[in-house]
Amino acid sequence: MAGIDDVFGDLFASVDAVVLFSPSGSYYERFVAVEDLDVVVVGTENAVSAETFVELPLEFEDISERIRFGLEGALEQGVIEDGDELACATSVFGDGIDTVSRVRADVENHTGIYDIFAKSRADPEVVKAVLELAIELGQKGQKGKPVGALFIVGDAGKVMNKSRPLSYNPFEKSHVHVGDPIVNVMLKEFSRLDGAFIISDAGKIVSAYRYLEPSAEGVDIPKGLGARHMAGGAITRDTNAIAIVLSESDGLVRAFKGGELILEVDPEAY
Amino acid sequence: MVDWQPFVNEPAVIAAAVLALGLVVGYLVGRLNEELLSASGVPEAVEGTPFERTAQSIGTSTVEIVARLSSWFIYGIAVLTAIHIAQLLDTDAFWLRVTEFIPQLFIAVLVLILGFIVADKSELIVSEYLRGVKLPEVSVIPKLVKYSVLYVTFIIALGQIGVHVLALLILLTVYAIGIVIVGTVAFKDFLVSSAAGIYLLLNQPYGIGDEVRIGDQTGIVQEVDLFVTKIEDDSEEYIVPNRKIFENGIIRMRD
Repeated sequence: MAGIDDVFGDLFASVDAVVLFSPSGSYYERFVAVEDLDVVVVGTENAVSAETFVELPLEFEDISERIRFGLEGALEQGVIEDGDELACATSVFGDGIDTVSRVRADVENHTGIYDIFAKSRADPEVVKAVLELAIELGQKGQKGKPVGALFIVGDAGKVMNKSRPLSYNPFEKSHVHVGDPIVNVMLKEFSRLDGAFIISDAGKIVSAYRYLEPSAEGVDIPKGLGARHMAGGAITRDTNAIAIVLSESDGLVRAFKGGELILEVDPEAY
Repeated sequence: MVDWQPFVNEPAVIAAAVLALGLVVGYLVGRLNEELLSASGVPEAVEGTPFERTAQSIGTSTVEIVARLSSWFIYGIAVLTAIHIAQLLDTDAFWLRVTEFIPQLFIAVLVLILGFIVADKSELIVSEYLRGVKLPEVSVIPKLVKYSVLYVTFIIALGQIGVHVLALLILLTVYAIGIVIVGTVAFKDFLVSSAAGIYLLLNQPYGIGDEVRIGDQTGIVQEVDLFVTKIEDDSEEYIVPNRKIFENGIIRMRD
């Protein structure tokens, strides 16, 4: 088997660091025991109490997404540097780590996907919950029909001042937060209403049925997306909010920040 | 045909029968207890507590110990009744005290076991809750909770077997009063703020997006929760305790 070791050895020869995605405790210990090796742990929680840890807000199903997000977070935190050669170990099929891929950290590829969680005004849990909700809505639709939805998360005070009600606000004088158990059903029902949902930094659903009135100057979103995406994208330029949009026509979930499209996921892939 | 009558009337035979019955009933009650405790999810509840771990290390478990205890309690009663019937010990005074003492001892031991588990469990829960606070000194609090629970347990157990616990009770009262006083002083502002916060959340005199002035600060309301209101102007974000809102009043700005 020496031959195979030689060939596969190229995968992790002379890497600058090893990036472990959600490793088990004993697995991590074995890597720490290796001398002269930088170990970075990436995961939804720091279960192994690693020194260098990058938090992953979602357990990405797609491997390339998972690795891209993890590396972007690591670059952002300064754990790794541009041009580092990395051996990324993650699990594809089972629970344990079964796959190693060699990746080169590249600042050029910066998409801001990490910023949407870590550097938003809103709490990362809130962003995560809304994104999961949009994905779930995209998978199932409302009563089997595809729906579109527009969530504006964070900086709610400013967003409220840059929008007007289309009708009575069903969430007035209520204290509903995203992530509460019954809320997903509620939001699904309300998603057939026109207009945007507005969610505060701490996750309170401030309003539904909002018509956004941002100035659409200098908004750079791909051509072909409709009014919902344009409105969502534009409001993120005017405020510090992020917009999470579920497209009715192609069923994709997109996230905007600072007027730019920074995340595009297919709900069917989850 | 053997005449059984004289045998049945013999005290030794009755005693033996009582003993046998006691053993059977004790065993059955033990088993029943074990089943009941397992079915009501006790093993999951005590999992991870030091008491359970100690029990595991000596090859038993909390459920087993409690079940055995109830068995032994019944065995004990059976043995004592048998002794009494067989009239091996004929001291009535001794007998009277023992019958009074055994149930109390049983309850005391049960209270102790329960106390240890509750103490361990509350320590676990509190330390889990405080895990987010990365401060070394904070690890004192779970310990404090644990020993407070243990202390109360010991008082109950000792009181059960008739030891005078007045001094310990006084100590407990002083301790409890101390906690209440420190708590009220430390959390006074929180209490006042949360009382105001409840009003704000129920009546919503202002909501997210309104422009308001509280004291000297003017801005757009970003968030209202139980303790604080966050308002923000172009460059600064103010986090105002809710009691300030009642002290200063709130001014809603109109254009």
